[in-house]
Amino acid sequence: MQFEVIAKCHTTRARVSRMKLSHGVTMLPTFMPVATQAAIKGLTPQQVESLGVTLMLNNTYHMNLRPGIKVLDDAGGAHRFQGWTRNLLTDSGGFQLVSLSKFTKITEEGALFASPFTGEPTMLTPEESISIQHSIGADIIMQLDDVVSSLTTGPRVGEAMERSVRWLDRCIDYHERSGKKDRHNLFAIVQGGLDHDLRDICLDEMIKRKDRVAGYAIGGLSGGEEKDTFWRIMKQCADKLPEDRPRYSMGIGFAEDLLVCVALGVDMADCVFPTRTARFGVALTFSGPLNLKLAKHAKDLAPIDTQCPCPTCSDGVSRALLHHIITQETAGAHAVTQHNITFQARLMGQARDAIINGTFPDYLRSFFVAYFGDVGYPEWAVNALRSVGVDLLDGISKDVNVVPGDGGKWEYSDRS
Amino acid sequence: MADVSTTHPGFSTLSFHLSCPASASPFGPRLGRASLKRNNDSPAVEIDTPGFLTTTSRGVIPHLSRDHHRFTEAIRWVLIPFETFLERLPPVPTLQGGSTPLHKFFGYSPLQNIVIMSARDPFDGRELPPNGNDHISSYSMRGVTPSAWRSYVFACRPDIVIALSDTPFTKPPHSQKRLTKSLERSTSWLSNLLRPIELDDDSNSNPHPLNIFVHMVGGTDLAARRIFSEGLLETLRDNEAEAIKPLKRLDDGVTGYVFDLVPLRLSLVAEIDSANISSPDILDTTTVPTAAQMSVDTSALIPLMKASLNSLPTQKIRLVNSAISPHEILRLVRDVGIDVFDAHWAQRAADIGVALDFRFPIVDTGPNNQTHRTKKDLGHNLYDQVYAHDFKRLADCFMDGASSLGQDSPCNRPVCPCAACSPLPPCQHISHSSIDSESYPESVHAPRQFLPPFRRAYLHHLLHTHEMSSHSLLAMHNLSVLDAFLSGVRTVLAHPNGTAVFTTEVDKFVEEYDEEMKVFEDARKSWTEVERARGKGRLAREKDKQAESTLGTAVEL
Repeated sequence: MQFEVIAKCHTTRARVSRMKLSHGVTMLPTFMPVATQAAIKGLTPQQVESLGVTLMLNNTYHMNLRPGIKVLDDAGGAHRFQGWTRNLLTDSGGFQLVSLSKFTKITEEGALFASPFTGEPTMLTPEESISIQHSIGADIIMQLDDVVSSLTTGPRVGEAMERSVRWLDRCIDYHERSGKKDRHNLFAIVQGGLDHDLRDICLDEMIKRKDRVAGYAIGGLSGGEEKDTFWRIMKQCADKLPEDRPRYSMGIGFAEDLLVCVALGVDMADCVFPTRTARFGVALTFSGPLNLKLAKHAKDLAPIDTQCPCPTCSDGVSRALLHHIITQETAGAHAVTQHNITFQARLMGQARDAIINGTFPDYLRSFFVAYFGDVGYPEWAVNALRSVGVDLLDGISKDVNVVPGDGGKWEYSDRS
Repeated sequence: MADVSTTHPGFSTLSFHLSCPASASPFGPRLGRASLKRNNDSPAVEIDTPGFLTTTSRGVIPHLSRDHHRFTEAIRWVLIPFETFLERLPPVPTLQGGSTPLHKFFGYSPLQNIVIMSARDPFDGRELPPNGNDHISSYSMRGVTPSAWRSYVFACRPDIVIALSDTPFTKPPHSQKRLTKSLERSTSWLSNLLRPIELDDDSNSNPHPLNIFVHMVGGTDLAARRIFSEGLLETLRDNEAEAIKPLKRLDDGVTGYVFDLVPLRLSLVAEIDSANISSPDILDTTTVPTAAQMSVDTSALIPLMKASLNSLPTQKIRLVNSAISPHEILRLVRDVGIDVFDAHWAQRAADIGVALDFRFPIVDTGPNNQTHRTKKDLGHNLYDQVYAHDFKRLADCFMDGASSLGQDSPCNRPVCPCAACSPLPPCQHISHSSIDSESYPESVHAPRQFLPPFRRAYLHHLLHTHEMSSHSLLAMHNLSVLDAFLSGVRTVLAHPNGTAVFTTEVDKFVEEYDEEMKVFEDARKSWTEVERARGKGRLAREKDKQAESTLGTAVEL
């Protein structure tokens, strides 16, 4: 990996970088759409690429179950299997072990779980996780970490953090011995729950191993914790992580979360939210999400967003047509998925331009006015951005409420 | 709603030329060209026949985003059943406006696609309440009246409209009296559509601007079918003549004839059943064609179709909806002289995981390696475990774009141009910031090279993981294979001794490929199993709703 910071925001911690991997250059900050089982739902890789996406994600847990390593090896890796010619990232499989399997037991050796197909006890060790990720052949691979829910408290959190550090060592050793270090770049995952002291210990330990890892992910967040806690942990990690390594916040996908993370110094994020919500009929826009299932869109011949360059909007697909087909026809899901992936890419692309042009604080302010001006700013976001020198309320001509709590924005009903 | 035709004059004109009436018989195979001239400077849309039309569900081609249906050149004629739009009044497409509102609303290209508007989905054989004298039932909250239909048609300005007809979807068999009623209503509803539009005094526009196709009604009664056709040719008098002036006969305003095979088959099955005193609830299923329907041989349909066409002019387009196999298509070309078929069966194959793999005329592609059946399958059930490690392209009968460039193929196979067999890299990448070009060092002007095809093993994986992309790729592939099949039909018919060569080739095709389509049966079973393995609760209920409204073509969202 070649990683180079090419511009920095003069106010916040945001930065623009060039990350060169085996399958090309990805400009950061960026959002990575999730192709869980070797496909972005409903789209071909060529369609995804045309949207301006240069880095996407496969889930190791799913890929290992189906199609399985044998098929991936025969195919010559996941890139060739799915026809994706750009960069690819795989997670370690640890998160799904915990979120999808009730019977997973963590031991020092690894994660013991019942195979969902045969019911047989199966062990996923750090070495095994790296080996599977090598077969998949992703450009960025993740260490196996000991994942606990972000709502967990007590000694288990510290235990998981410490084990994640030990497992990182095993991942590094296995990875280096494999001789594939030049093609696959291993990222460490900072754990430690919502405890600032544990996070600090984890950061210290993992930064010690900096020369042997290509980048850092911030894990264990976005799992239902309060937003005020979320940003403070995120900031603590982003602040301390080394300047010359990419920083990846896992599982972040809401627009406001993404921009706050970028302002705190995060370079990459992934989430199934934009693609999943598309299938249920929600289109993302710069003035907030649109729920296309609502009757108020039934006769609206305008596209989702007239400014949007995605194939759906630029072709003038009307909200009325989308209303008619969404959740009924797969083609409706395809159209909104194309739009939502493009929305995420625009959000991040405009952030890159703003950082380069020295206008990132203005970009944040104008985003929040358009997105939250009518319903009020989330207090946590106001506080988070104040912590990096941007006051969202500065220079706002109209009265805007600041709303406490974790509220995002959603179009629930036909009230307009 | 007002007749909007006067405010938007200038409909397109459809003409049809038989370039090669290959035989003297009115029912022999024939080659033709449909030509749609729009009321502007754009070149006419020209489509050769025999050809096929792509079916839609809720107005869109199942599984295809707009970029995908544009890429699929096989898609020319498109049929839009209107009934789902009756759920909300006025129906939304009527609000679109412009010179080609349906093209605009659904994203079809006015330069490439001929759009046909029909009230009902011709494949939908589900039981419905009886029609009235001035009302047809449809599978939605409400039906439609002939006058409302007329106003919707003038607002939507389809390239072709299929006139309302009274086809009963109550439980067959139907009485003689019901049949008589059906003929009367269908005639009167056609006449309503043929009412001249009001023109300005100095205008010399056509008072009958619509291109109208009419259903050949009369059920399974040969006499009734003949009577209906003769009625179309009768010179009308008095009030009836006044209603359609300056036309003299209803047929003068008709451009093409339509046969919907689903209701015909249902009636034939009911007749067989009543003779056998058993009555399975054939109308209850949404997954037609059922085995019962499949049991109705093409040969039972042919006399009915001939009875309708016998007295009618031969130079008009003949359209058949819901043919069940390429074998049936070939027989209907050979024995009835049908020009256009819908692609429903091939599109449905994409829903259930079948990649079509056949050609006409037949070619030797080596032994049938996946089964021990005596005849070759029409395609591959990609759910089957044998494909888990199969890294070949989808079809043996065709090359893929990338390898066609590499070396000469020994058997001179054509390239399947679909986005699954011959994918191309995107012609552009959306740029989201000023530095995005660093991700794309290659010149934008460099010619695009074909990418490797999608492999069976990948499609197998996508099917077993319920990934929608599998159906998108298969839909494009299957339409392309069907296109090549009909192109093969035209090539054979263009032979100097076309009819004879065609007849021989049809026999060879029937001999080569399994007409029972067991591969479809297997695929349907696998599809059901994989679907059943899915979640319960809300998702399951959503899926039931979805299946209900999309006629069983729904797949996992």
